[in-house]
Amino acid sequence: MNHKYRLTVIFPILLLTAVLVMLIANIAMGPINISVPKIWDSIFGIHRQDDIYTNIIWKIRMPRALAAAFGGAALSLSGLLLQVLFRNPLADPFILGITPGSSLVVGIVVFLGASIGLNVIHPFLLALAAFIGAMIVMIIVLATARKIKNIVTLLIVGMMVGYLCNALTNLMISFAQKEQLHLFTIWGLGSFSGFSWPETLILASVTIILTGGAMAICKPLNALILGEDYARSMGVPIKKLRIFIVIISCFLSGTMTAFAGPVAFIGLAVPYISRLSCKTSDNRVLIPLTVLLGAFLTSLCDLVARMALRPAEIPISGITSFFGVPLVIALLLRRNQSL
Amino acid sequence: MKVINTYKLAVGYGSRIIMDQIDLQALKGQIVGLLGPNGSGKTTLLKTLGGLLAPIKGVVYLCGKDLTCYNSTELSKNLAVLLTERVSAPLTTAFEIVAMGRYPYTDYADRLTPKDTAKVWESLELVNGRGLAEKYFSELSDGEKQKVLLARALTQEPELLILDEPTSFLDLRHRYEIIEVFTRLAHEKKTTIILSLHDIELAARCCDSVFLLKDNQILGYGSPEQLLTGESIRKLYDFQGVNYNELLGVTELQNPQPPTIFVVGGNGSAVKLFRLLSRSHYGICSGIIHENDLDYQVGKSLGIEIVTAKAFEMIDEATFQKAVAKILQIHEVIDAGYPVGMTNHKNLDLIKKALGMGKVVISVRTPEESRKLFGNMADKILYCREFSELLTILSREREAKAIVMNKRNLC
Repeated sequence: MNHKYRLTVIFPILLLTAVLVMLIANIAMGPINISVPKIWDSIFGIHRQDDIYTNIIWKIRMPRALAAAFGGAALSLSGLLLQVLFRNPLADPFILGITPGSSLVVGIVVFLGASIGLNVIHPFLLALAAFIGAMIVMIIVLATARKIKNIVTLLIVGMMVGYLCNALTNLMISFAQKEQLHLFTIWGLGSFSGFSWPETLILASVTIILTGGAMAICKPLNALILGEDYARSMGVPIKKLRIFIVIISCFLSGTMTAFAGPVAFIGLAVPYISRLSCKTSDNRVLIPLTVLLGAFLTSLCDLVARMALRPAEIPISGITSFFGVPLVIALLLRRNQSL
Repeated sequence: MKVINTYKLAVGYGSRIIMDQIDLQALKGQIVGLLGPNGSGKTTLLKTLGGLLAPIKGVVYLCGKDLTCYNSTELSKNLAVLLTERVSAPLTTAFEIVAMGRYPYTDYADRLTPKDTAKVWESLELVNGRGLAEKYFSELSDGEKQKVLLARALTQEPELLILDEPTSFLDLRHRYEIIEVFTRLAHEKKTTIILSLHDIELAARCCDSVFLLKDNQILGYGSPEQLLTGESIRKLYDFQGVNYNELLGVTELQNPQPPTIFVVGGNGSAVKLFRLLSRSHYGICSGIIHENDLDYQVGKSLGIEIVTAKAFEMIDEATFQKAVAKILQIHEVIDAGYPVGMTNHKNLDLIKKALGMGKVVISVRTPEESRKLFGNMADKILYCREFSELLTILSREREAKAIVMNKRNLC
């Protein structure tokens, strides 16, 4: 009972606080440091002055801080759902080829758009492209799943499709013009910089709505742990559930990838960390914790990415792996518990 | 009342039919066993009966209603399964696994009501698994895992329980514990159980009726007493060099060696010797054994030659001479230490005769006992205190004989 109380009340509150602290830190810190009262003033103050701080806070730091938090949450949740569906801790948007698929279609849209004279592409269109890329890969993987029962084979199929997508993307890059190439390369490194408000709002609403969606299917998600046959024998509508999970996780990682570029490791590591530190597979507990932990860790990584080699920025994927790899290995060793 | 019955059912994967024209049924509170060699289609049939595979042709009726007409929640309240596939459920306690059986009964958030919790404990109690509740499933032994999965199926409160090889991988204790749970469920809760088994003896113990499946068809259907005969089991599994004894419920490997040892037994005294010598690749024959003797049943299953006497009758002279003729052809005679009584008194004469012929006689009796039975002749008998010693004596005797033969050849 005590353990349960800790998982359902104390952990979420602690994590929520940590996320808020990280948000404030991300807004306060940067090339110019801004004091907390000042931040309070420019966000909630009645007599908001239109000075340089307010501009920095509203136009640059706030969207970025929120984007990092929501993006991290989206990736983590996507990873968690895929791991539950495939009953394999190796599943994540990267390994299953979802992110490479998004990259490919985003690349096509960017390069094609440029060749017909569109230099600014609407964020909606980018998000849609990334989602379509994610879906195409997932449909291929799931179609294979019908033929092949073996989950490991399925993961390998995902990886292969991912490689193919990467190869096509590289092919496209070699024919691209210099300016687009630069744009695409920057995108490909993954970064939360330059998030606009519309982008942030789309990402935030997708994340919030789909977290709700994931919470709504907690019960069938939990039943999946014994395998699809057992789940079906308990009355889980397995086909619908499978499609639902795939759509949610594609939307989550697709939207995130569209705006911020491919960010490695969060989708794989955060579900691990929350599962191992909570010692449970109950998704009713895991979903909120994973979402919050993903938001916190990604915010932290973004802060480090911005601050470590100021004023230069490190690509976020470098930081996430730096943080994540030792943490996961340490947890695995300490618990000596198989996933 | 029929809980489940099928009509001209064809099962298989995709459009490939594995078994066709199946008509089987199970009544309320019955335990029905499916027996058959690997690959005979037991799992496919069970999955179809459990609604996990769609029938290719024909219909499965559950409580009189077509299985495909059930909605999934309704179905899961009537039918629960235990599958052969190994389950890995990381970071989940046994209690949580068992509680999953309440899936069709709980609300959208899967919250357990006090009634649900009570049901979970009741199921754990039924499988003697109360103590496992707080443990992680991945840390349990195979037997404990199977018990927990069985408890999970019970928590669904099904009318019909479908179990695919529930006793594989289990040690003897867990095997019988689980079988005991089945019989209790069928008897007390009137749950109908259909299960596939590889153990003929277990099937004979717990099933009310059995189906024999082979080569994609039903070979036979009936009560185990009527159906599980040595002959039908031999046909079912294409036994070669193996015999199933329906009276004893044991399976014996045949001894194909030509006999070189004569075992004088009776009253079950020779059973262990038969098995020991067969295992060590000695060809054996035996006598004089009454047809109502345990030695006779085991010897017959092993396929060894036995000189027999009619049940409860004295050994007559003709039989005695037959045994003597047999002994003439072999090297050693073993006295299995049978109890001596009215009807088999002649077996003592047989051993004396063997000694008279100069055969090597080895006895598992004590020398004192032998002296009482054979008098002075007892000194010519070799004695072994335990069975392992018997093998040593045998190989020593054979070696000595070989040396003598060699010498003779040299001369």
